[in-house]
Amino acid sequence: MVDRNKLRETAKEIISRDDVRELIGYRAGTYGFRARPAFVYDPGEVDQLIFTPACVNNLATYITLEEKLPVPKGQEPDLRKVAVMVKGCDSRALIQQMAENAYDRDRILVIGIPCTGVVDMDKVQARFPDVLGPGEISLEGDKFVFTFDGKVEEVPKEELLADKCKRCRYPTPLVYDILLDEEVAPFATDDYSDVEALEGRSQDEKWAYWEEKFSRCIRCYSCRNVCPMCYCNDCILDRLRPQWIRRSVDVSENTVFHISRAYHLAGRCIQCGECQRVCPVEIPLMELNRKLYKDVEELYDFEPGVKVDAPPLLSSYRPDDPEDFIL
Amino acid sequence: MAETTQTDFQPNIVAFLCNWCSYAGADLAGTSRTQYPPNVRVIRVMCSGRVNPMFVVNALQEGADGVLVSGCHPGDCHYMQGNYYARRRFKLMRNFLEYLGIEPERVRMSWVSASEGAKWKEVIEEVVEGVKAVGPMNKFKRRQLNW
Amino acid sequence: MAAKKLSKDKVGEVLRELSKFRLITPVKSDDVVIYREIGDPEEAFLDYGNSTVPPKKVVFPQTETLFRFTLGNPELREKNVEEEGTTVIFGLRPCDARAMSIVDKLFSWDFEDPYYLKRRELTTLVGMACVQPPSINCFCTSLGGSPFGKEGLDVLLVDMGDHYLFQSLTDKGSRLEEVLGSYLEEATSGDEEKAASMEEDAKAKIVRSIDPQGIPEKLPNLWEHPLWKRVSDACLGCGICTFLCPTCHCFDVQDEVEKGEGRRARMWDSCMFCEYTLHASGHNPRPTRKERTRNRISHKYSYYPKRFDVIACVGCGRCINLCPVNIDILEILEQVVEA
Repeated sequence: MVDRNKLRETAKEIISRDDVRELIGYRAGTYGFRARPAFVYDPGEVDQLIFTPACVNNLATYITLEEKLPVPKGQEPDLRKVAVMVKGCDSRALIQQMAENAYDRDRILVIGIPCTGVVDMDKVQARFPDVLGPGEISLEGDKFVFTFDGKVEEVPKEELLADKCKRCRYPTPLVYDILLDEEVAPFATDDYSDVEALEGRSQDEKWAYWEEKFSRCIRCYSCRNVCPMCYCNDCILDRLRPQWIRRSVDVSENTVFHISRAYHLAGRCIQCGECQRVCPVEIPLMELNRKLYKDVEELYDFEPGVKVDAPPLLSSYRPDDPEDFIL
Repeated sequence: MAETTQTDFQPNIVAFLCNWCSYAGADLAGTSRTQYPPNVRVIRVMCSGRVNPMFVVNALQEGADGVLVSGCHPGDCHYMQGNYYARRRFKLMRNFLEYLGIEPERVRMSWVSASEGAKWKEVIEEVVEGVKAVGPMNKFKRRQLNW
Repeated sequence: MAAKKLSKDKVGEVLRELSKFRLITPVKSDDVVIYREIGDPEEAFLDYGNSTVPPKKVVFPQTETLFRFTLGNPELREKNVEEEGTTVIFGLRPCDARAMSIVDKLFSWDFEDPYYLKRRELTTLVGMACVQPPSINCFCTSLGGSPFGKEGLDVLLVDMGDHYLFQSLTDKGSRLEEVLGSYLEEATSGDEEKAASMEEDAKAKIVRSIDPQGIPEKLPNLWEHPLWKRVSDACLGCGICTFLCPTCHCFDVQDEVEKGEGRRARMWDSCMFCEYTLHASGHNPRPTRKERTRNRISHKYSYYPKRFDVIACVGCGRCINLCPVNIDILEILEQVVEA
């Protein structure tokens, strides 16, 4: 666990620097056990910062989400760094963004947090529906400890751990300027059993499975907006000419939306799981992303978000790429 | 429900052919009076690498029962590498569609050179047969909405 | 009208009887509760908190054809909502029904929206009182609602354990009561008093609140206040808070054409999307999420009450529960009060 005082002192030092504009971290949420992104502009604000297993958000998104206004005549653009706190998975998003030249390395200052896993907030909410809080979660050994309203409750880690953490291969950030704690050794592996289970079903069963899920989609685009890799200025979903995907909501358009969303992440998705976490109608989006992730790894021996200088998967090739499917 | 039986089902197949090899190959099949199933609607593109995977998805959505993308053999691309890029893209898209329950018979890719009129015929026969076997595409086809 | 009693073991028969209409109830799709037209009474899922997507989509569909056309033919074929027939929404929550009565004011304001109003006329709302507030973030009581609220409903059901107390509240409600006459019994004496005390208990269980007094007048003066930047810093600009809001009603109109046949359709739009106010010139008068968040709050808590004398928020808590980054409308309003 990251020491809170050390976290705040480090943050204070960083935000006091002349070349740092803002610091993005976490603070307590407004109800229950939630935590939420915190934006710090001033050394006086660092005392709200926390890091606990409730800090689920991938803050790398905010680097590319920023909406820049035109700089008024006579003024210089603000080129100071953005400091951002990242867990292992989140750091891979930064690497992938930089591999795609989304911005320069010196634009950001990375505060790495070796992570021992975060909770699945839906499960926490279901377990403690009546806690107004704000309550706190900490990890002690193999138990999450919930402190609220003067009470303390322990729950085995396995029960409430987020699915993505159960197969996390990179708990320690792969890129950082400052590491807040000792490195964490990988504690899980990924066998893709979920993807394989679905692959093994018949075509009609697979379609029935997805049709029910896609028919629920309300096209709020939260999966796109929360995704650190979805940062195109001109998104295919917003295009009117050609309008690849109509705004009308039905199974056909929704399916094409989900195909294009997942496919655009082929070789780019770094498995932070944010899309699935935020989906209000609980579409298992990671099952889509993970199929592509698995194929990319098996077919092309490629893993996104681990090397800054790796060429993008779909704009590179090897002459001996598999071609058993070609007539 | 009145189902079209598989024997009288005539699939619509959209084929994206590269200008330099496959289109010329198909043309050769035509000028050589080679008979092949008339289910294919050809769209000529400059290179198989020009085919956006969204073309495939869009064709299936708009009523195609199958899609074929065809380009030059590896090493023969007029633009050196276009078919290599296409190969990666289509492998992933094909696998992905299969994962959603879209039969892989509907999404095909082939290498047909300008001299392979006879191969073109074989490719089309196989594609048409494959699509006939899986029947009409109606999974995520755009429905004519009744209001 | 005297209250009636509906025994729980007759609910299946009642739903079967009602399925001669277009019957819409909460159903479970995997683990998500949504409203859907049902054929089989077994599909109805009545033991629920609240739905993820509000039932506004029944009267204001997410995508709705206005008319169809054929290229080259000046004749338009307009949608006839009447054909959808009588609709019953069975088991919706009082806040969602109240939201519909709030949105009615807009759709019958300067232009009477024939599609929406016709559908409303055809729809009977059978509400289900919240004996237990569905979530920690419910705050209907702050805005003039109640877990047992009757506004907008035609019938209110109260779960009394082994049976429901059936109160019809409007003419539509009485007509429904006639249809279901054979399944209803005289209410057990004392049920109404008991329901009244249950209502007080349910209200007491609502823990979050806001005093909206003065907020509508204050908001326009906070236009340039720094609070908007701070509350929207974390915003992702997705459509969850607006699409899932029972009172949000913005729509976009698009034409869809295929092989010479087409339709003009309207579909939900969200003021949190950046294209919402994007001009053809490329200029965007609400260029960042700050302006969009300010608009969302101001629309609900200032513009709407100014025009229609009612705040366009019913306190269902969906936007708080489902916001991916925990942007909390109550916290924003508290900051507005303090500002």
